[in-house]
Amino acid sequence: MDADDAVLAAAGDAKAFERLYHRHVARVHSLARRMIGTDLADEITQDVFVRIWEKLGSFRGEAAFGTWLHRVAINVILGRRKQLGIRRERFADGDKAIDKLSSNPKGVETAIDFEAAMEHLPDGAQQVFVLHDVEGFKHGEIAEIMGITSGTSKSQLHRARMILRDYLDR
Amino acid sequence: MNDQWTDRLSNYLDGELNVAERAELEEHLSSCAECSAVLEQLRQVVARAQSLENRAPDSDLWSGVAERIGAAAAVADLDEHRQRKQERLGQRRYSISLPQLVAASVALMVLSGGSAWVVSKAGGAAGEGAMPTATNGTALVSEAPADLATSYDAAVVQLELILKESRSQLDTATVRIIEENLSIIDRAIAQAQRALAMDPASIYLQEHLAATKRQKLEFLRQAALMAGAVS
Repeated sequence: MDADDAVLAAAGDAKAFERLYHRHVARVHSLARRMIGTDLADEITQDVFVRIWEKLGSFRGEAAFGTWLHRVAINVILGRRKQLGIRRERFADGDKAIDKLSSNPKGVETAIDFEAAMEHLPDGAQQVFVLHDVEGFKHGEIAEIMGITSGTSKSQLHRARMILRDYLDR
Repeated sequence: MNDQWTDRLSNYLDGELNVAERAELEEHLSSCAECSAVLEQLRQVVARAQSLENRAPDSDLWSGVAERIGAAAAVADLDEHRQRKQERLGQRRYSISLPQLVAASVALMVLSGGSAWVVSKAGGAAGEGAMPTATNGTALVSEAPADLATSYDAAVVQLELILKESRSQLDTATVRIIEENLSIIDRAIAQAQRALAMDPASIYLQEHLAATKRQKLEFLRQAALMAGAVS
């Protein structure tokens, strides 16, 4: 279904592209929200789909359309993160930032609570955590995507997990 | 518990330690309740991350996307454009310019040449596994049903119909050249389909067929545009 609509959309069929949008928007928006924050998620989701529209002609079908779209989305999100240079303060004080969250009530933990905690992770650690533990990328892939070493990816992941472990333990 | 051990816990969870490091850490874990507790907490964090579900945005973002890609004003509803076309019929006759025809013909010759090569390769080397093949069922075209129920085929049929009804707006020479070029594209599609039937898993052939179909759709759209049937 995606492949058929991708062909149509690449030929300029906006209706086909709208169908692709509706099938993938939840995943793209969730990725943006987790990697760069709720405030910018809407805007970046739109940026992603505009970029997808522009790049549809280069989709060759080697991978599933959703996989290709996901990779483009990650590139757009990371590009925006660099461009904005956001949340620099978290580099210095990420562990304290998470202390500002309300304590995690035992037995009433929700996915939204956990996502809120993720948003307070230090920059870098947050993206590595999302790519590794949520999206399932390997350290080698993350290193390539983010332009860091595998060792940095591993240490950032561990840092993120230790911070979130403190949050879950409160 | 100290950093020397805790720093290794994530790598341990992810299977990133070598045999010796793993054995050393497991020995430590057997005698350190604190590190074992941290390891369990890290497991919970990973499990929580893996169980997150995707959520759609609270507000509709499509309208913003549509505006930015120009879809709001684009040709999206062919029925609507057929209606507009009816209103314009009889106003004037159009000719496709010579450069446009040359460009289209060159593109089609390249296309059909590529198909011929594909067919010859499919008949020879494909059977020996020389073609790249899909491993995960992510075929671009083979997933699509072959009947006219597919949106691609429906769009092509509708555009062909529009063009047929609008041919009176084009001069005879233009109509002849359009038909010749469409015939070339159809042959290229048929060749690609035959090659794909011989090697259904070939990504290259799936991609080539998809590109050829896109070419036809775009050519039809351009021809209909020139005939004044769509805007």
